Amino acid sequence: MIKTVELKKIFSGRGQEVRAVDGVTSHIASGEVVVVIGPSGSGKSTYLRCLNGLETLSSGSIVIDGTDLADRKTDLNKVRREVGMVFQQFNLFPHKTVLENIILAQQVVRKRNRSDAEDKARQLLKKVGIAEKESVYPGHLSGGQQQRVAIARALAMDPKIMLFDEPTSALDPEMVGEVLDVMKQLAREGMTMVVVTHEMGFAREVADRVIFMDQGKLVEEGTPEHFFTEPREERAKAFLKQVL
Amino acid sequence: MMGAGLWVATKKIDYTWRWKRVPQYFFYNAETMHNAPFDSRVAQIDNLGDTTRVILISEDDEKLSFEVDSPTLNVSVDEELFEDDHLGSTFQWRAGPLVVGLWNTLWISAAASIMGLIIGVITGLCRVSKNPTLRDLSVTYVEIFRGTPLLVQLFIFYFFLGTVLDIDRFVAGICALAIFAGAYVGEIIRAGIQSIPKGQMEAARSLGMNVPQAMIYIILPQAFKRTLPPLAGQFISLIKDSSLVSVIAINDLTKSGREVITSTFATFEIWFIVALLYLILTFTLSQVIAWVERRLAVSD
Ligand SMILES: Nc1ncnc2c1ncn2[C@@H]1O[C@H](COP(=O)(O)OP(=O)(O)O)[C@@H](O)[C@H]1O
Ligand SMILES: [Mg+2]
Repeated sequence: MIKTVELKKIFSGRGQEVRAVDGVTSHIASGEVVVVIGPSGSGKSTYLRCLNGLETLSSGSIVIDGTDLADRKTDLNKVRREVGMVFQQFNLFPHKTVLENIILAQQVVRKRNRSDAEDKARQLLKKVGIAEKESVYPGHLSGGQQQRVAIARALAMDPKIMLFDEPTSALDPEMVGEVLDVMKQLAREGMTMVVVTHEMGFAREVADRVIFMDQGKLVEEGTPEHFFTEPREERAKAFLKQVL
Repeated sequence: MMGAGLWVATKKIDYTWRWKRVPQYFFYNAETMHNAPFDSRVAQIDNLGDTTRVILISEDDEKLSFEVDSPTLNVSVDEELFEDDHLGSTFQWRAGPLVVGLWNTLWISAAASIMGLIIGVITGLCRVSKNPTLRDLSVTYVEIFRGTPLLVQLFIFYFFLGTVLDIDRFVAGICALAIFAGAYVGEIIRAGIQSIPKGQMEAARSLGMNVPQAMIYIILPQAFKRTLPPLAGQFISLIKDSSLVSVIAINDLTKSGREVITSTFATFEIWFIVALLYLILTFTLSQVIAWVERRLAVSD
């Protein structure tokens, strides 16, 4: 489903070069849940943003569902509607109500009519457990509720893949569970997911595979059992010792 | 204190206030005189209440009827009239020069504001675009029109462009005001767009929207809300700056005021009135914008 080969993303500015993603090769299969972990600044977010075409690649290739993102002829907007993304800061549209947040892109991008879009939005709000908040503005919701709306908003586009960039890092601890529950349910339903997170419990319980990144490189990957019990790489061991 | 001081001071320079003369320059009862078009005889007079109908017969039996206000009737039945003899008058309320000037100022400012807003939004968008040519063009435009006096721009628009392209003085005036305001609005819009967190654009793009869609639905509405206070200031300035179009002989409020003064010599009164009228326009605008701001604040 997602094939990345020797993916590199180099930021250059003010005379210095940051190799944010430095040669990552991986294959994520349909229905797989991949958790990406690693210290801060290791390039996890950048990797995820490359998968969504939010960053242009410096070199290498990403093929999603047969479409090459690096190909100039590829319409990235078409790719993006198949790839949902959930951000650490929620990024809900503050000038629109919860319901409007979820129907806007359905109407504008998927060209659905209003009532279909509303039906879909209500159904998803029910699924993430905040059906009663549909006419509230995001500013009046708790962080956990906002993040669940953000997930519903991404799901409304019927994506084939969902990317999560530290979806619980900006939340108060008591709200982490409600968001992770929604994600677990999605995983059970067979959604292809790439999740950057520091929630090791989630990784252990839900991930099919764990990828450990450091300094832009994919240092180690494997099943959660392997990764959490007997990691080969020193850097992975050191990181796990810190977070567990 | 200050009022009293001014009063004493005006006494000293022997100024006579003539406030009574002012209202007629807002509205006046215009008299239309009806005169006999040719040598004739008054054939008939019918009193219709407020008005009276006068029917004339000429020497070659041509009939003509007039209606005049009854109190002004100046002829009687069978009277022989010569050409141009006065039959009577009718009166009609007309807008005086101050109202005409106020109206001109109002619509010139409104047209220039709308055009200025459109130009400004386009400039602001160019300013944040990835295309370096568009960016440079918008920077150049802003620098030129912010860096030269509006009065000079007006002269150039009117005397140079107006002559070369043969455009009307109103068009020249409105364009000059709009393009001048557009430069400032452009900067306001740019700042507004840049103040929206990057995550908003990314979220919109991640849902498959293209850049124009994200701008229209996500970025600009939020930027507009934030830029409303500075935009209000800009449009209030524009109303005031519109007084400069009087130099290219457009009959705006300021020019009308000046003309009224030449015929009344009520210099102080008229300038106070003109100032008050500008104040009414700007105050109304700021109230409207405050109302819009309150409407938009529901999502906070
Ligand atoms: N837009 C950018 N411009 C320059 N450097 C960037 C940019 N985005 C990220 N980086 C750099 O790339 C590296 C990886 O960042 P990131 O992918 O955000 O790491 P992580 O998400 O793992 O914390 C960091 O050193 C960061 O400073
Ligand atoms: Mg990150």
